Amino acid sequence: MALARGYTNVAAVPLQTAMWACQRARMIGAWRAAFVVLWLFAAAPVAVAQSLDRDQGPSVVTPDAGDDAGRVVPTLAPPQTRSEAAVSSTTQQTPAPPPSVPPTQRGGVIRTILGILALLALAYLGGHPKVRAWEEKLGISQMIAAGFPFVVLGMIAHLPSVGVLTDDVLVELDPLLHVGLGCIGFVFGFRFDLRTLRLFPQGSERLVFFSILFPFTLVWALSAVVLALVSPPQDASIFSGPLFVRDAVILGTAAAMSASTAKRWYKLGKASRLSVLVVRVEEFVGVVGLALVAAYFRPQNALSSWQLPGTAWLLLSVGLGATLALLTFAILQTASRGPEFLVLSLGVIAFAAGASGYLHLSSVVVTFIAGALLNAFPGEYHTRLRDTLRRLEHPILLLSLVIIGALWQLSDWRGWLLMPVFGCARLAGKWWATNPLMLSQEHMALSNDERYALGLSPMGTLAIAIVINAKVLYPGDSISLIVSAVLGGGVLTEIFVQRVHRRHSARLRNERPSPPPVTLGGVP
Amino acid sequence: MNLVLVFALAGLMQAIRSFQAPHLGEGFGTTLAFGYLLLTAYFAGTLFKAARLPKLTGYIAAGIVAGPAVLGFLTESMVQSLKIVNGVAIALIAMTAGLELEFREMRPFMRTILWITGVAVTGTTLLLATAVFFARPLLPFMAGLGSLEAMMIALVLGVVMVAQSPAVVIALRDETQAEGPVSRTVLGVVVIADLAVILLFAITSSVAKAFLGQGANVGATVRSVAWELFGSMGVGVLIGLLLAVYTRKVKGGAGLFLLAVSFIVAEVGQRLHLDPLLVALAAGILIRNATQAAPEIHHQIEAFSLPIYVLFFAVAGANLHLSVLATVGIPAVLFVVVRGIGLYYGTRVATALARAPRDVQRFAGFGLLPQAGLALALSMLFAKTFPEFGDAGALTLGVVALNELIAPVIFRAALVRSGEAGKLAPSSQPELVGGDESGLVDLGPEKA
Repeated sequence: MALARGYTNVAAVPLQTAMWACQRARMIGAWRAAFVVLWLFAAAPVAVAQSLDRDQGPSVVTPDAGDDAGRVVPTLAPPQTRSEAAVSSTTQQTPAPPPSVPPTQRGGVIRTILGILALLALAYLGGHPKVRAWEEKLGISQMIAAGFPFVVLGMIAHLPSVGVLTDDVLVELDPLLHVGLGCIGFVFGFRFDLRTLRLFPQGSERLVFFSILFPFTLVWALSAVVLALVSPPQDASIFSGPLFVRDAVILGTAAAMSASTAKRWYKLGKASRLSVLVVRVEEFVGVVGLALVAAYFRPQNALSSWQLPGTAWLLLSVGLGATLALLTFAILQTASRGPEFLVLSLGVIAFAAGASGYLHLSSVVVTFIAGALLNAFPGEYHTRLRDTLRRLEHPILLLSLVIIGALWQLSDWRGWLLMPVFGCARLAGKWWATNPLMLSQEHMALSNDERYALGLSPMGTLAIAIVINAKVLYPGDSISLIVSAVLGGGVLTEIFVQRVHRRHSARLRNERPSPPPVTLGGVP
Repeated sequence: MNLVLVFALAGLMQAIRSFQAPHLGEGFGTTLAFGYLLLTAYFAGTLFKAARLPKLTGYIAAGIVAGPAVLGFLTESMVQSLKIVNGVAIALIAMTAGLELEFREMRPFMRTILWITGVAVTGTTLLLATAVFFARPLLPFMAGLGSLEAMMIALVLGVVMVAQSPAVVIALRDETQAEGPVSRTVLGVVVIADLAVILLFAITSSVAKAFLGQGANVGATVRSVAWELFGSMGVGVLIGLLLAVYTRKVKGGAGLFLLAVSFIVAEVGQRLHLDPLLVALAAGILIRNATQAAPEIHHQIEAFSLPIYVLFFAVAGANLHLSVLATVGIPAVLFVVVRGIGLYYGTRVATALARAPRDVQRFAGFGLLPQAGLALALSMLFAKTFPEFGDAGALTLGVVALNELIAPVIFRAALVRSGEAGKLAPSSQPELVGGDESGLVDLGPEKA
């Protein structure tokens, strides 16, 4: 176990650095996909060299063959290195590497240094204006901004031929994923404000209701039909009672949620505010769905010391979120400096995510509740917390996306089949929900632009977080299919939506020669 | 308020930990432990600060109390999982130390530093060795050894127990915002003594092995130590150049890059039999003395280092096995006293010989007392090198445990008494990791 941990550390290095590379590239608008691939190729030999080195044993004891067996050559690796424990029990008996610096070490050093230098060069090139212009020309800049290349990075790193994010490594990276989920829940919760529901224009209830209901129903129904048609009889358990309902809720909930990206393309009227409001309600509904799934479908474990009914677990989620919100409120009153705020924010998010996970509750739900309540509480901390979260969430979220990509099971072809089904059904549902015939014409006459903005929306990060959280809670085949459908469907949707919006906005620009700058005013 | 929060966190932790489901993976527990320890240690630090004690002692104390040794909120496996921060912390601390060592500014102190290293550190090593030799009746593991063999083992133990802690010195210097000849001299000594102790341990342990009839390959030892020392420095220089080039050419996102480099230094370096501390130290020294990037990199380290430092010291505390003091308590206290006397008076003699300023003569010795990472590393290394003297490992760990708890308090008091505390102006609000990018998630407008 300890050896596995040691390996994790090493294997995580290329990941961390690749993360940085991609982060860097994103910030300066770069060539991310190329980065990912190139860096993985640069990093993989290092990981392999390290894993070989791991097999050779620790550096502290380097007995020669023959008379010098067991001789010690001091090496001052930090005492707390995680391979130490495993090593200590074997150092006296196990043959160890030769005493001088072996060629593999030198090779490892050279590769590491060259890898870092290559990374630097790539980062520099990635920031080049020509590369950025090329990215814009290809129309992939928004796609990159959505973070999907990080999912691809994780996917590639998980491939057996690359072998960086192996299953063992993923187990070790579990805490990072939990913190990531907690952070996403907290950030989305902190921007949610129940009072904004009062801002809904008259007659918009239908729009909100349909934009949730139609994608939910369509995705769920079509996915069920497709799965029923293609699944072998032995997989009939997917359609059995509670399991089917649970999966339907997860899939439908993810489908109902969207990201408000219309401001990238259009200058909108009342729909700009409305689109943001609709997204907020969708997020809330998504979190409620996940809370229900976590409370009512949890496995009954006779050995668990807490035996409670589903409703009690639901109330416990709310109570834990509220308690953590109160605790966080009190904690944040004590911080005065930026670094202290960082410590406390990170600590609170990790504690909330860990506590909910430990109780087998949804970390996204609990942290969302805590974040939403904190947003509602009075105090002077809002701006500082928002600023800290804005800076904290970025690296954590990107790292989470890499892990999520690695969790993506690509081996089951049914997942590939569900991707277009999910993407098409979701878009059809959203588009249908904005159909003028469905809305109250008196109050909700949407222009063509507004319909495009509301009806053709990509998926948001929270939707992905929700299905991943569901997978963490209920690891199993059917959830893996849902993850495939949502991730793949999300990517396809993003590509499709961007193409459509790009063309539509270009057409609009041609019709209106000099449009004013794109703004999104009055976002609540 | 802080005390109430500590109790509230403990109460929540106790309640949550009462839920025991066998199907849960370690990941949840580690995340929980991470958050709990970070918050509790932070508040313990503020409580200790209010009591005019070092914050880092508070972090360590929080780790001890929350850890397996006392309350058991953190299990052994949780503590093991949290050690992932150690390598990064050590690299960052060493880089900070390197960034502080500007040769031009250090030149006036070099004479004193070398005298202290030569007289106090080496002298105390011999003093501790002598004490161990004569305290043999108190040390069961020394029973049955001949005089020569006992002398050699005593010498190795002397080297192990004399080690200092750049990490604690840097942390206390930052915490007290100390600036002046005392803090600069102490920093220089602990860095150079770090190198000296590594070298001394390699030599004495090899010689002791030979005396104990286990054979020693001198050539291999020299090559290995040379690789560790000079290889680490060489790699460190390259890393320093890389960081400087990055800061100059790429600019944004330097914090994340620095964090990634620290991780690489800690994890890959260790696998390549390099000393992460030396690698980062060399990088820091190069950046400070050969480039213009030092202020920017220092600024970046300050931005995100606090959570890592807090967790590093808290995990160190959680990892302390106080139970060893029950078995080796008396000799451990004896050697702590001998070490303290040796280092303090050795420093006084050395500084007098070097004609150092009066404050340096009076207070620099206290800066050599703290122990942490290096001493623990040597203790564990000793236990592995000489498994037949298993109890000696417990003894040295006991000495480290006592010094880890007591010495920071003494050094902090010395910095305050010397008048250097508070002389370093705090830097402006640093940029956090991730720079000023717009987030993936829109947080909406600021609250009115």
